[in-house]
Amino acid sequence: MTRNDERMRMLEIENLQAEVAGTQILKGLSLTLNAGEIHAIMGPNGAGKSTLTYTLGGRPGYEVTGGRATFDGQDLLALAPHERAAAGLFLGFQYPVEIPGVSNVQFLREALNSQRKQRGETPLTGGEFLKIARAQADALGLSMDMLKRAVNVGFSGGEKKRNEMVQMGILDPKLAILDETDSGLDIDALRVVGDGINRIMRKPDKAVLLITHYQRLLDYVQPDFVHVLAVGRIVRSGGPELAHELEREGYGAMAA
Amino acid sequence: MTKNADALAAAEKASTYEWGFSSDIEQDFAPKGLSEDTVRFISAKKNEPEWMLEWRLKAYRRWLDMEAPDWAKLDLAPIDYQDAYYYAAPKVKPKLGSLDEVDPEILRVYEKLGIPIEEQKMLAGVEGARKVAVDAVFDSVSVATTFRAELESAGVIFRSISEAIREYPELVKKWLGKVVPQNDNFFAALNCAVFSDGTFVYIPEGVRCPMELSTYFRINAENTGQFERTLIIADKGSYVSYLEGCTAPMRDENQLHAAVVELIVLDDAEIKYSTVQNWYPGDADGKGGIYNFVTKRALCQGKNSKVSWTQVETGSAITWKYPSCVLSGENSVGEFYSVAVTNNRQQADTGTKMIHLGKNTRSTIVSKGISAGRSNNTYRGLVRVAATAENVRNFTQCDSLLLGHECGAHTVPYIEVKNPSAQIEHEATTSKISDDQLFYAMQRGLGQEEAVALIVNGFAKEVLQQLPMEFAIEAQKLLGISLEGSVG
Amino acid sequence: MTLPLPTRRDEAWRYSDLDALASVWPLAAPERIALGAGERHSRVMIETSGGIVVRDLVIELAAGARLDMHLLNSGARFGRIAIDVTLGSGAEFNLGGVQIGGGEQVLEIITTVRHAAPEATSRQTIRTVLGGQATGTYLGKVAVARAAQKTDSAQSVRAMLLDRTATANAKPELEIYADDVKCAHGCAVGELDARGLFYLASRGLPPPQAKALMLHAFVAEVFADMEDETARETIEAAALAALEALL
Repeated sequence: MTRNDERMRMLEIENLQAEVAGTQILKGLSLTLNAGEIHAIMGPNGAGKSTLTYTLGGRPGYEVTGGRATFDGQDLLALAPHERAAAGLFLGFQYPVEIPGVSNVQFLREALNSQRKQRGETPLTGGEFLKIARAQADALGLSMDMLKRAVNVGFSGGEKKRNEMVQMGILDPKLAILDETDSGLDIDALRVVGDGINRIMRKPDKAVLLITHYQRLLDYVQPDFVHVLAVGRIVRSGGPELAHELEREGYGAMAA
Repeated sequence: MTKNADALAAAEKASTYEWGFSSDIEQDFAPKGLSEDTVRFISAKKNEPEWMLEWRLKAYRRWLDMEAPDWAKLDLAPIDYQDAYYYAAPKVKPKLGSLDEVDPEILRVYEKLGIPIEEQKMLAGVEGARKVAVDAVFDSVSVATTFRAELESAGVIFRSISEAIREYPELVKKWLGKVVPQNDNFFAALNCAVFSDGTFVYIPEGVRCPMELSTYFRINAENTGQFERTLIIADKGSYVSYLEGCTAPMRDENQLHAAVVELIVLDDAEIKYSTVQNWYPGDADGKGGIYNFVTKRALCQGKNSKVSWTQVETGSAITWKYPSCVLSGENSVGEFYSVAVTNNRQQADTGTKMIHLGKNTRSTIVSKGISAGRSNNTYRGLVRVAATAENVRNFTQCDSLLLGHECGAHTVPYIEVKNPSAQIEHEATTSKISDDQLFYAMQRGLGQEEAVALIVNGFAKEVLQQLPMEFAIEAQKLLGISLEGSVG
Repeated sequence: MTLPLPTRRDEAWRYSDLDALASVWPLAAPERIALGAGERHSRVMIETSGGIVVRDLVIELAAGARLDMHLLNSGARFGRIAIDVTLGSGAEFNLGGVQIGGGEQVLEIITTVRHAAPEATSRQTIRTVLGGQATGTYLGKVAVARAAQKTDSAQSVRAMLLDRTATANAKPELEIYADDVKCAHGCAVGELDARGLFYLASRGLPPPQAKALMLHAFVAEVFADMEDETARETIEAAALAALEALL
């Protein structure tokens, strides 16, 4: 595989090992993403896809036992979760969390301003923030009413995933790791979410890691590279054609 | 489906208390009333060592200074403790190795009781039948213990408590009264003074008890209080499943029953304790019936120890019973699954206490109360988390079902938390059988009572599933029978 | 005749600061509120001053009457608010209560809601946040009489402990004598949801800010349905100030 070394290194994972509740899930995973690239990681259930997402996000309980991860020149693993976010990392959750009582608008404004503060930027006023929020909500077909409701409370599966995209649009990260963002979406919602990813993230200074079980999201978001994750390691890498091969032949053939 | 069919068939069969009969065996009574002499009489009758008599007398003196608890939601006339007999034993005391040698009269009683089919097969020597050891308590004295030999080869001690006091005094001395102290409550103190018999089980380290242990209780003498005493010790890494079931003959006088059950569970050990309680509930007007005041408590002393209480309470005029767990060992687990049915004039005040003392201790409480007739059914529970107990988890679900508009369903959960890392959740719901549900079931061909039995069994399913198979079927039948005449 | 001082054996006083109570015993006669048929009333109680505060309310709601109560119990060394409500046919009682305490405070809300007639509704939402050595208690009994068919009653009780030395007690009790009723209660004691905290952190909020945001939400939820905007802002501000003092 060739890489354009001129491009800026965005995320570099070397021999990453991680445990959950004393069980080793990631067993030496290596992967490099450059700015301007979209990568897809595919793999069967239990391969360690969500563990990779949470480990990179710094979720408590996901313990790194070896290896390194460098994000935009910094040691990612040394940062607290909110510092990773401020550095420009966005996690799209497979199961977005409901937070009763906290409105989306309040939450995102606090989050965005907190990130800006950590980066030494001035906070946005309520008006400035609402303008950005409205634009992103419109683009993803989510009403402002929904943005005023409590975070993900009472949202359908599809609405939760669209809300993740709205948040991504508002927070405007450098790198998005999207965990099974396509799960639970019907065909129309899949298109809306796919369009959202392309619109927000397909830029020369950004990168995306799509983590998915199925090939179908890749019809809407064309990856530059596809990797196969099995039992805690990348076992194969290739171009977009690899996803089709997987779809045809299944993971069983791949692991053999 | 077949289970439901069984339940429906049984529900159809009985419209009166099916198992209310009285057998004719000569009794050896203690003098009526309660005094130090009564205590001495009982102790002497049982050939007890001096230390045991002293222990009883100490409890009796404590009891004299205590008062009957009044906090339960029970409407109860004062009990005259001098107007009862405290000891009755079959006159000819058999010393038997197997049930074959038991007085045929007693065996006929068991037959009428409907000892589960699996067990009967096994008793008849059918190959491959699941093994259940029965320690039959006929009134107050244990008359026969089966499978003693096989249990003994595994190192399991399964005895009447009277025998254990004589044969294993060190074990009994070490643990008796340690989980439920003599002065724990009025009824426990009474039991300590006059307990007549009961069961003792010791499962040695690392032993998985080769069969389920089962005790059948019956009250068979008029005006005789029954004071069972059970002590089960599960040593490190052991496991035992214990089944307790009871039915009682029909009587007009209220009969007092005050049992104490103590469970001790050491490191990595587990006790599963299942009860089907079907004492005589009294007639439709509330005449007669057993007063059932029970203290059951488990001490999960060891790390990773576990106790699971499952109870199906359909009988007794009065039920006062809170099988509890003291979770002191790290990672220990307590469970309480309960179905309590009250009909006619029955009153039940039952629930559990989960006392979390150790780190990472967990408890689950599932209580299903079904009230019918003019009965009152109360869930009363306590979940307490000590300041030292990190990462405690408790989940409690209390559901009440009301059949008819003359009954009462009550929920009294106490929650006391002193550690911020605890996660305690309690949910309660109250419902009735909707006309839609009834109509739907009846349109499909079920009679009204069948439909009720079906729906009630569905309501209680989560708990019934916890029972060993033979008990589950018996319990399903009981639910249907207990609720007869409650709708329509 | 003076009533004797309660003891721990009295259910309604089992977690109280009885020494503090003794210093103000005997209590004044309860405050009585009676709403006539169809009347509607809102009541806001903000107890933020120190000392010993024992409030006792006896409320009667006639047919179709509605009372909305919101209260904050946060200031007293021993602060007790006891409410006894009797609901007539179709009456509605809504209670939103917040308790916030630290230091050695003992705070309690004691309610008895009597559904005496059909088709009445009661809603109780109680949120308690405790730090230091504080004790916070909710004893709430919903009693549904034989005649009170179609009762609709709910209790939602949650408490959050911030320190190892604080204590939360709750007893959401149901006493039901009518069969066609909807009575539910939920009670939870625990820490802030770890998944929620991580979700907030993953969007860039530092842990103290994420925790404060979730606690604000935990408390503010109780006042969200208040129709009087000014009253809502006042009680919410008082609650947030109490919370900030605790954090």
